[in-house]
Amino acid sequence: MTPETAANRIPILEGIRNQGKTWDVLAPSYGVTNENPPWKTSLVAVCGCLGTSDALPALDIREAEDELADTIYRDVPAPERQLLALAHTMLDRGLVSEHELANRMSKIRSRLEGA
Amino acid sequence: MTSTEHTKAGAKSKARFRIGDRVRVLNMPYLFYSRTQMYVRGVVGTIAAYTYEDLIPEDEAFNLDGKVEQYYIVRFRQQDLWPEYPFPNDTLQTESPERWLEPADESTSTHDKAK
Amino acid sequence: MSSSHSQGDHHHDHPHKAAPTVDEITDFEVLEIAVRELSIEHGLFTAEEHRRFTEWAESIGPAGGSRLVAKAWVDPEFKKRVLENATEACKEIGVDWSEPTGFGTPSDYTHLYVLEDTPTLHHVIVCTLCSCYPRPLLGMSPEWYRTTNYRRRIVRWPRQVLAEFGLILPEEVEIRVEDSNQKCRFMVLPVRPEGTEGWSEEQLAEIVTRDCMIGVALPKPDRKVDTHPIRKARRPVKIASVKEEAAK
Repeated sequence: MTPETAANRIPILEGIRNQGKTWDVLAPSYGVTNENPPWKTSLVAVCGCLGTSDALPALDIREAEDELADTIYRDVPAPERQLLALAHTMLDRGLVSEHELANRMSKIRSRLEGA
Repeated sequence: MTSTEHTKAGAKSKARFRIGDRVRVLNMPYLFYSRTQMYVRGVVGTIAAYTYEDLIPEDEAFNLDGKVEQYYIVRFRQQDLWPEYPFPNDTLQTESPERWLEPADESTSTHDKAK
Repeated sequence: MSSSHSQGDHHHDHPHKAAPTVDEITDFEVLEIAVRELSIEHGLFTAEEHRRFTEWAESIGPAGGSRLVAKAWVDPEFKKRVLENATEACKEIGVDWSEPTGFGTPSDYTHLYVLEDTPTLHHVIVCTLCSCYPRPLLGMSPEWYRTTNYRRRIVRWPRQVLAEFGLILPEEVEIRVEDSNQKCRFMVLPVRPEGTEGWSEEQLAEIVTRDCMIGVALPKPDRKVDTHPIRKARRPVKIASVKEEAAK
């Protein structure tokens, strides 16, 4: 049985994707040679922690990520693809709402830019 | 490849199968997901090793009897898994809990895949 | 923020230049933080769990696996222990599969099996269901390992996929694909290559790359880096086309 994730585009995530600021492009432009963005291990940890939860067991995350990676996030490089797929799955399942996410992102940005 | 305790025939007395037994993978219905891949269903392989005893994943069993089962490594000939696989020596191994396996007779055809 | 290799300083009359960093905050970075904070607030996991997991994720890499193979090559008794109880043997090279929870992680578990190659038997590892991988020994899986393109094709057309990595083996060699669909995690112990006689463990570990321990490459005396795939996948897979492939 296929996962319930519909290959529907989510506006807030499309907005992030369309900026195109993926690490594989950004890092070389700044002369940074690290293969991975600094948030990658944190993302791995988020997936790992969620994997033990009832809300989003590990195999579910994987199936949903596969489906999204093959469809709407096909052209996004890893690890951004994994991040978008995870956010997408959480939104789809109602674990967070778009409104919450948008609000939180805006607060975080203010916090980081104000620092 | 496994502990010597595991590879001794009969060492795991509760285990239904022994190293070298011919077994067929069952094709059971499942509700959400199953860790038994479609491509091995109905195919006959050989018990290659014991791995560990564990509970059946919740999604796999209609009756959650809480019993612990033996898991095995089962080895298949690639020519039994795929039509027209050209190389007779190649094999594939995968892991299976006991309840997904049944004994296969010597005379049983290996091409029993339910279509 | 990110750090990188120093660019070096060729102008002695200028102060030493700081290492370059990515000086902007991307929405991806912000999104990750948001997802994490909201998950914690919704009780999906705790900040402490996340912190422990992040530390673990930062600590792992393929060096452990390379050390294990090199030691097994020089020490037959260690190799026996590796083949009898790989999870225990890992402790001898400083890798503890019970980290970071005491019970392992929810996708790595604590059942490692090391698959010994011989001149007539070559193993290659996959997880068709979800790209499970022996992370405590090998670190994070490479992106190609996680693609459906690899996972669906390596079980069906292993020789073709290996050829795309530049590895072609004679028909007499048995290629054994190991699909890690349950809790066991697998790693390949390759055959020690010729031309390495008298080498130290450190020298041997240098040529045991991640791809060698997955089984898509063979170790060689002059090979210290994984570069792959070298050929584009032929007819990247969709499920329906497996039958078409069979009909060709």
